[in-house]
Amino acid sequence: MASTTEIYEQDTTEFEIEGAFDTDKLVHLILLMCASLATIVVFFIIFLLFQNAGNFFRKVPLEEFLFDDHWLPTDEEEPQFGAYNIIAGTLLVAFGAMVIAVPLGILTAIFIAEIAPPKISKFLKASVELLSGVPSVVFGFFGLIILNKYIKEVLGAPSGATWLSGSIILAIMALPTIVTVAEDAISSVPMHYREASLAMGATRWQTISKVILPGAISGITAAVILGLGRAIGETMAVLMVTGNNNVFPDPITDIFSPLRTITGTIGIEMGEVPANSLHYRALFALAIVLFLITFIINLTANFIISRFNKKLRGELKSKSRNQILIPEIIKENKKTITYLILSILFGWLLTNIFDIINAVIISLILIGIILVLRIISPFKLEEYKFLIYFYMLFTLLAWVFSTWFDWETAILMCLALAGFIFILKILNPINQQRVVFSIISIAAFISVLSLSIIIYYIVSNGLPAITWEFLTEDSEDSGRAGGIFPMIVGTLWLTVGAIIYAVPIGVAAGIYLSEYAKEGPITKIIRTGIDNLNGTPSIVFGLFGLAFFVLYLDFGISMIAGQLTLALMILPTIIRTTEESVKSIPQSFREGSLALGSTKWQSISKVVLPAAMPGITTGMILGMGRASGETAPILFTAAVFKQKSLPRYVIQPVMALTYHLFVLATSIPDSDTQAAGTALVLLVLVMIMYSFAIYVRNSYQKKKNW
Amino acid sequence: MNLKVKTKLVKEISESQNADIEKIKAGNDIIIECKNLNLWYDDNHALKDINMIVKKNKVTAIIGPSGCGKSTLIRSFNRMNDVIEGCKTEGTVEFRGRNIYGNRISAMKIRKYIGMIFQKPNPFPMSIYDNILYGPKIHRMRDKKKLETILKNSLEMAVLWDEVKDRLKDSALGLSGGQQQRLCIARTLAIEPEVILMDEPTSSLDPIATAKIEELINDLKEKYTVIIVTHNMQQAARISDYTAFMYLGELIEFGETEQIFENPQERLTENYITGRFG
Ligand SMILES: Nc1ncnc2c1ncn2[C@@H]1O[C@H](COP(=O)(O)OP(=O)(O)OP(=O)(O)O)[C@@H](O)[C@H]1O
Ligand SMILES: [Mg+2]
Repeated sequence: MASTTEIYEQDTTEFEIEGAFDTDKLVHLILLMCASLATIVVFFIIFLLFQNAGNFFRKVPLEEFLFDDHWLPTDEEEPQFGAYNIIAGTLLVAFGAMVIAVPLGILTAIFIAEIAPPKISKFLKASVELLSGVPSVVFGFFGLIILNKYIKEVLGAPSGATWLSGSIILAIMALPTIVTVAEDAISSVPMHYREASLAMGATRWQTISKVILPGAISGITAAVILGLGRAIGETMAVLMVTGNNNVFPDPITDIFSPLRTITGTIGIEMGEVPANSLHYRALFALAIVLFLITFIINLTANFIISRFNKKLRGELKSKSRNQILIPEIIKENKKTITYLILSILFGWLLTNIFDIINAVIISLILIGIILVLRIISPFKLEEYKFLIYFYMLFTLLAWVFSTWFDWETAILMCLALAGFIFILKILNPINQQRVVFSIISIAAFISVLSLSIIIYYIVSNGLPAITWEFLTEDSEDSGRAGGIFPMIVGTLWLTVGAIIYAVPIGVAAGIYLSEYAKEGPITKIIRTGIDNLNGTPSIVFGLFGLAFFVLYLDFGISMIAGQLTLALMILPTIIRTTEESVKSIPQSFREGSLALGSTKWQSISKVVLPAAMPGITTGMILGMGRASGETAPILFTAAVFKQKSLPRYVIQPVMALTYHLFVLATSIPDSDTQAAGTALVLLVLVMIMYSFAIYVRNSYQKKKNW
Repeated sequence: MNLKVKTKLVKEISESQNADIEKIKAGNDIIIECKNLNLWYDDNHALKDINMIVKKNKVTAIIGPSGCGKSTLIRSFNRMNDVIEGCKTEGTVEFRGRNIYGNRISAMKIRKYIGMIFQKPNPFPMSIYDNILYGPKIHRMRDKKKLETILKNSLEMAVLWDEVKDRLKDSALGLSGGQQQRLCIARTLAIEPEVILMDEPTSSLDPIATAKIEELINDLKEKYTVIIVTHNMQQAARISDYTAFMYLGELIEFGETEQIFENPQERLTENYITGRFG
């Protein structure tokens, strides 16, 4: 009898690899290529921006461009390209927005995460998310028609188009970003911190302020930075409400001054310049400045977020050598740096009020007083530091107020504020919590209210315009009559096209990042690329689309150019949601499949992807919502205001809801009702997509029981 | 017993080991044999010079304290460790006399012959029907009639048919824990493996579900070879024919279950079995 071993030995060829072809390797390669695309696009955008700016900087010196304030690009004799006011305007309007949005956003986030009862909290979270989808042109429309009128008539500004209205609108737009990210950071502080603190008899507010907020601080910082990025990169709303005057507010606190921003300038002027003229190049140069600003903002935000996540996972060793030094330095000298910044501000304020010499003398006297105090006082200077901060801060504040009201009122207001803070400090913990919680609740209420007012206005003004004809007919009389059927169709075409191009690549890239990428330099570069693509302002995409699809590839102003531009813009959203939902599929599914003899790709395509499908769908719908609400990317690539027929080929231009609304609101008088109707249709369209996405995600989270 | 003494004991064992294996080898119905198997997770030497055999149509149990490398060992029998980054294997594991870590061997195909059941039941989030036929389908079986037969046979074999025959299209995630684990067994049976590896298959189940699975393992012996990792010594004693005791990455003692439990040759084994450490 032959031994079993011998029999077996004859047929072990069945364990062998067949042929040289390995599907898994091929799949790996294809996915890697898709993932790299996002990074390549970022480099390509940078390259094209510089290429199209071309010899601009040789003709116009950089100092003139950055520090001169004469922007006269169309002057026939001697065009001038001083962008100082424009760059300053961009920063000022974003700064103003942050002054409003940061406190409101953070307080709202605290409210949602820590204070509101679960049901309300859930509702608020969903609404804020939903509102992040409101198209910027709808905000712009509201600002132009309502807010500006209010500012002019009630606050008595000479014109409604002001820095203030730009900042308010931007603040409302940045709110959802800030609230969502900050709320995430706060909620992810582990529960046991809370319990430990409460168990020691701390009030909830003490727990929040002493334990939770410090724990979430880097996440909250990231929220603020991302909000800032959004505000700086925003185009349509700013363009519509700020007046676009090339002036610098005088005094610098004059919030009723009109402003001009980089995005607004590009948005207005790019449509009218001949390609490759000096003016055209100047606009690309502006775009480079914008891109650099947002690039730095994105890098900072991502750096902070990744550190925060590492800290949460406990991966961050307290003093590892690999850490970049700068943040450590900042952390260690936080007080000194605050002190320094405050002193500089204070000094600058003094020079504003007095002339330089007096300012220096006053500063010297102040320093002298501090020194004397330090020497003769029985207390250490440390104990005064707080007071000194406060003193400086309130002087600054008093000065700002004084430019708005008279001196007496300003000082009274500051004193009242200081008194309030003082009283709050000496209240007993329970009452303190009461007061603080009411403030937080009011802030949350204001956030929600401001967003609801806009929605309410659009709905109540838009509804009368909605008729069957409005939805099914073409416009007449430059949009003053008739309907918006071709625009609806155009928007749908653009959106669907964008999705068709973006989804395969985005999903592939997401799969690559979650299933194949090993942590290393290549993955890092890819991730950085995607993050930056995500934060790139939509107008920059518009310029890219113009330079590459419209001009270089010679598609002309066409549907396909718009679709491709939009596709690039929503690519990061799709990549991210795919990556996240694929990552959330438990490893045991993959092992179960592999243990049955499947290849890696089989286990991904047959088990992991179907399970991750709801998540991927969510990303897809969010991408659609975003694509259908954007104006800036199609401004120079695809959209026209009037066209004889529906586009039949992808190389024809299209009409779109966003662009139609933009033109109606800014250039066609007496079209308010039609505009509001268009805004309503656009809003409903986007909201449907967003709520569908949120619904899919939530019901999937509820259902998932592995 | 302190750690130093334990490690010293571990060192003395290797010589007597080979003798045991020779004795068991006599029957020449060996299906898996590992020789000088070493495995590292980065710098962690998780398996140290393992020599062991598995006999056809028998149940082999692997016991030992937590972290001693049981899962690692069983996973190296069908190359499931390949998936783990930084994992390095040396030595050989022969399946039917062929080294599965050798040249030109496809891990996918090995896993078709050596299936695996995991600690936590892991049915795929699809219907019971799709779960069972997942394996046959990825192995390119398309004949409808054959698929139906496989479905019924494997579910019957796993003693699940009667419980699920009316709800084959329902999601497998709706089953109870014990049912899910039997479903996973049926899913593995559907690809008709020769060896079934089980890594603590009952540790997340209640006593009744556990008893059912144990009974099932006993039935499986007729057609399959079973290797089972367990923390539960009574379970090992009840269901296995051979037992391997591992400690700190080494195979301390390997022999017939009766002998291991009634007359262990090594002090460490005895201490572990009598519950003096664990
Ligand atoms: N994926 C992995 N990466 C790195 N080290 C691992 C990995 N899996 C296991 N180890 C290490 O290998 C050693 C053996 O682990 P293994 O899981 O095989 O033990 P075990 O005997 O199955 O334990 P338990 O009874 O707890 O399941 C342990 O030291 C463990 O930390
Ligand atoms: Mg284990």
